[in-house]
Amino acid sequence: MGYVFEGLLHTLIITVIAALIGLVLGFIVALVKISAENNKYMKIPAIICQIYTTVFRGTPVALQLFIMVFAVFAIPGFKPYAAILTFGINSGAYVSESIRAGISSVDRGQLEAGRALGLTWNKTMIKIIMPQAIKNIIPAIGNEIIALLKETSIIGMIGATAGTLTFDLNAASETIYKSVPNFLACGLIVGAFYLAIVYLLTFVIKIIEKRLRASDKR
Amino acid sequence: MISVKNIFKNFDKLEVLKGVSCEIQKGERVVLIGPSGSGKSTLLRCMNLLEEPTYGEVWLESDLLTSIDPYLHLDIIRLSKTYKELFSQRKEANPQMSDEEIDSYLISEIKEKDLLKKHEGKEYKKAIKELEKKNRVDINLARRDMGMVFQHFNLFNNLTVIDNLTLTPVTLGLKTKEEAEKTAMELLKRIGLSDKRDEYPAKLSGGQKQRIAIVRALAMNPKVMLFDEPTSALDPEMVGEVLDLIKELADEGMTMVIVTHEMGFAKEVGTRVLFMDNGKIAEEGTPSEVFDNPKNPRTIQFLKAVL
Ligand SMILES: Nc1ncnc2c1ncn2[C@@H]1O[C@H](COP(=O)(O)OP(=O)(O)O)[C@@H](O)[C@H]1O
Ligand SMILES: [Mg+2]
Repeated sequence: MGYVFEGLLHTLIITVIAALIGLVLGFIVALVKISAENNKYMKIPAIICQIYTTVFRGTPVALQLFIMVFAVFAIPGFKPYAAILTFGINSGAYVSESIRAGISSVDRGQLEAGRALGLTWNKTMIKIIMPQAIKNIIPAIGNEIIALLKETSIIGMIGATAGTLTFDLNAASETIYKSVPNFLACGLIVGAFYLAIVYLLTFVIKIIEKRLRASDKR
Repeated sequence: MISVKNIFKNFDKLEVLKGVSCEIQKGERVVLIGPSGSGKSTLLRCMNLLEEPTYGEVWLESDLLTSIDPYLHLDIIRLSKTYKELFSQRKEANPQMSDEEIDSYLISEIKEKDLLKKHEGKEYKKAIKELEKKNRVDINLARRDMGMVFQHFNLFNNLTVIDNLTLTPVTLGLKTKEEAEKTAMELLKRIGLSDKRDEYPAKLSGGQKQRIAIVRALAMNPKVMLFDEPTSALDPEMVGEVLDLIKELADEGMTMVIVTHEMGFAKEVGTRVLFMDNGKIAEEGTPSEVFDNPKNPRTIQFLKAVL
């Protein structure tokens, strides 16, 4: 059973670090893309960002993982880090789209009203648009983190057992396989753990969502 | 107050404004009427640069809001390479013509055929830069002087009524929070909605929203108010309360430009009427001239359809 908990811990660590990378990256990319509509110097960075999101959302994460681990960062002992980085970069592409979609879901009239009063684009974004967009963004990002958590299971595919680390729940399930003579049971135990974590996360997202709704009594 | 000088506005291939000029004097109440899609909103939105004109200039008093349109400045056209080259060509070809004659032909030819290019030499560029430096203002500053009221109110949904009124003056550092709230409460009292100060917009009726949107603009002490069909999105029973508020402002001498389909109101409140058709001002005059004695067949046809 200890193996499972170790695997669980690793899964959580990978998810949290990758999610943080994804959030930071996604936020920056979204910012670049959005400000391009108002700032001509952002046009070229926005195109680069567009290529990034298109490529990382348009190809399977397993493929990205293989390329990153065995080609781009083919450094001995770097496997787990390359994997985390890949998940982070992949997640960033989705997060940036969630943020962008959240912002463009806000009625254009809100921006126009702010600008017509003499507020700058930045001030209008911060005071008017973002507070409304965040209500759509937070749940979307929550779902993205859940997807990320489940995706990290494919890390077993690259055999990322760095040193003595058993690197994820699936790897843990292999270990259990030796002591529990029923493969199906292993799968079920690991599955139950995933289910529990996802359920917990969903619950947390629901609470946050409710809070956000309550703050604007509309 | 506002000078619109020969503006054109294209959305990609679609030409929406095709050379519109008008002057809004202080104290005037100019009503814009015309068929749907004729460019009324676009013209209004060009006045505070929510839309940037493709050609032409917009001035607020002595402040230039757009970039310089070289076609409106003969002395700048004369500095262009195109002009200089053509001038010497023409002079050679027509030695009998005087310089003044060539100049006047050339200027109208350049204007007509849109001959100026993006790059027309150093002198030309410098002249434009200097003119802009002298006259152009930060659009964010200019907009403080021009209140705008939208068809769909556009109250800030994430803010309470009082915060809708105070956000801009406070954020821009024009007033302290206390001062801004005091002004806001006076304005709310004026429209009889002081009890709504802590409500969110979603809890208000359309008429209430629009009246609050109007006083939100007033809280900035604008010199001119721009209204884009302020009653078109309202249930009929709420139209009156909004029109009454606008009439009050009119009586106080507020300068305004109003796009509206309320012809009775236009006639009552307007000092001048502009009839727009297909991206141009097709007819203008006092309300009685335009409504009672229209000259342009398009105006006659339009009025027949709406009255
Ligand atoms: N942002 C825009 N992008 C593309 N076309 C637009 C845009 N705004 C207005 N138009 C088009 O310009 C024309 C004039 O619109 P508008 O100025 O709103 O007319 P009006 O207010 O007189 O009904 C319409 O054909 C409209 O579809
Ligand atoms: Mg319109």
